[in-house]
Amino acid sequence: MLRIQNLSASIDGKPILRGLNLEVRAGEVHAIMGPNGSGKSTFAQVLAGRDIYKVVADELSFDGNDVLRMAPEIRARQGIFLAFQYPVEIPGVSNLYFLRAAVNAVRSHRGLPELDAIDFMSQAREQAKSLGIDDAMLKRSLNEGFSGGEKKRNEILQLKLLEPRLAILDESDSGLDIDALRVVADGINAMRSPDRAIIVVTHYQRLLNYVVPDHVHVLLGGRIVRSGGKDLARELEEKGYGWLEQEAMAS
Amino acid sequence: MSTVTAEQNVYAAQFSSIRDRLPGACLPWVERLRQEGMDDFLTLGFPTTKLENWKYTNVAPIRRIAFEPAIDHSLSSIPELDSYPSPRLVFVNGRLIPTCSTVDARLNFHLLTIGDALRDPERASIIKKHLGRYTNTSENAFAAWNTALFADGAYLEIPRGLTCEQPIHLVFIAAGENEPWACYPRNLIVAGEGSQITFVETFIGLKDIVYLTNTVTEIAAGPNSVIDYYKIERESCQGFHVGMINAHLDRDASLTSHSISFGGSLVRNDLNVSLDSEGAYCALNGLFVVDGQRLVDNHTRIDHLRPHASSRELYKGVLAGTAQGVFNGAIVVHEKAQKTDAVQHSKNLLLSKQAQINTKPQLEIRNNDVRCFHGATIGQMDTDAVFYLNSRGIDERTAKRILIRGFAAEIIDVVRVSSVREQLERQLDGWLQGVLEVS
Repeated sequence: MLRIQNLSASIDGKPILRGLNLEVRAGEVHAIMGPNGSGKSTFAQVLAGRDIYKVVADELSFDGNDVLRMAPEIRARQGIFLAFQYPVEIPGVSNLYFLRAAVNAVRSHRGLPELDAIDFMSQAREQAKSLGIDDAMLKRSLNEGFSGGEKKRNEILQLKLLEPRLAILDESDSGLDIDALRVVADGINAMRSPDRAIIVVTHYQRLLNYVVPDHVHVLLGGRIVRSGGKDLARELEEKGYGWLEQEAMAS
Repeated sequence: MSTVTAEQNVYAAQFSSIRDRLPGACLPWVERLRQEGMDDFLTLGFPTTKLENWKYTNVAPIRRIAFEPAIDHSLSSIPELDSYPSPRLVFVNGRLIPTCSTVDARLNFHLLTIGDALRDPERASIIKKHLGRYTNTSENAFAAWNTALFADGAYLEIPRGLTCEQPIHLVFIAAGENEPWACYPRNLIVAGEGSQITFVETFIGLKDIVYLTNTVTEIAAGPNSVIDYYKIERESCQGFHVGMINAHLDRDASLTSHSISFGGSLVRNDLNVSLDSEGAYCALNGLFVVDGQRLVDNHTRIDHLRPHASSRELYKGVLAGTAQGVFNGAIVVHEKAQKTDAVQHSKNLLLSKQAQINTKPQLEIRNNDVRCFHGATIGQMDTDAVFYLNSRGIDERTAKRILIRGFAAEIIDVVRVSSVREQLERQLDGWLQGVLEVS
């Protein structure tokens, strides 16, 4: 589904990703782990099409289509979704209005009729309920004054409503207490399906106890330096990233 | 005294020739008021950018034109009139159109033209008490000019204790030939003790013609009265609009003002509120959306004269193209006004590199027991927010439209009159469509 060959990205001339390779197939859950500053968030943003980075790659394809020069809204409509580490606060735009605009943008791309406010409301309510999001939060301005946990849950709500084919979750677990973490993890697990792939970007192993990955990759210095199964995550939890950093330096 | 210029003389001559036919001509006190207005106008002359209050607004385009007094103009139909339900007064080129105005004789308050009110002996004493009292013609040439030449306008008097359920609409339409012409609407609103009203002034330009609307509205808010006031300015793109609102608030009176500017080539709004008794409160909301080479200038001044009065102010500007915006918000806390609570914000969004905003909060505090806060921000479109929306499948133009609407929502959403709010939303959407197409 997603093929990445030799992906590099830089900002203001400063390289962040330096030749990253990754292949993700439908139905798989991949975890990208790494210490702060290793390029995890840049990787997630680059996949979604953030244009502040200068990006080059031998291949960056999604379902066989080259997405390297594709605008972010087109990527989104084709099924790429990024749950933001820091969702943007947008005053004056109600959460519900935003959600409906997003869902309808994707629906009309798929040739489906747009949902009116009433139909959408009932759909959104149902999904919101499972994430502990009440009507008041749906009616508030998007992310404005939301707590950290509310913002993360709202990102998962978008994931559920937009039903993407590839979901990239950037630090969806950071700053959450254990109850909120379970809600978020349940939301993600509910989205696992044979025709959908999920990339979980995280600093901590904790989320991976709940969302068990098929593959774990360690990102260091803008490259994937090690890949393995779910046990790699546990190993990292015990030993930290230091030993891999030393290995990477030695090689 | 400065020399009277040829430009000013045009209006002095007009004044001499029509003064006998202007409303209130037979009343000596009105005569005096007008004469003082003309004298002040001649003394002051047109303001120049050397004056602090006109630093960023050059009125030369107005000064250079010799505007004729507007002549009566009949319109076969007026678009969107349904947006302004009864009770309403409709003026075209400054003159009342009785057939479009729907005043119910059973109304339990007084809504009539200022001319009719001046002719009505029962209204005489109350008008005399208020008309011109809140407008300092010796400091503002346009207000002085209006005072000399006003030909029509609305008089609204709400008796003590009455709550007026329906919003009252005053609609001023610019149309027709004989350009360039000027009209001078003069409105007086007297709210009795404990009364409550909502009134909406809408200025609309129907044709792309050169004209000047020079308007003055005086508001006398009696003790414990509640006033919700709207000024919607939608002059046409070559129209000039200079408007002054002077409000005087008595004990525990409350005024919420919404000033929204969409049109006009050069627009200047002056809003002066005098909190002249304990417990008075005003909230001033403003929104101006400006594109092309237009200029919109909002000057507000709140005088805290007595203790325990409070004020809230939020003005927002959206500027595109090579437009210019000005916000100058003065808050003056006088010696006796202890426990004053005043908050002012000016927030501005620039959609192009060439657009300009000059925003200046001006706090003058003459005692030390007050809580005052002010802040001003100027920003561009938030690229993080645009990307966030893009990443959800929303295209660039729609994303920008959503964000600008969100920015304006803080002002538009608090418009309580639903027909006005819906109108504003449509107007803003139309404006955004044009502006985002260009960029």
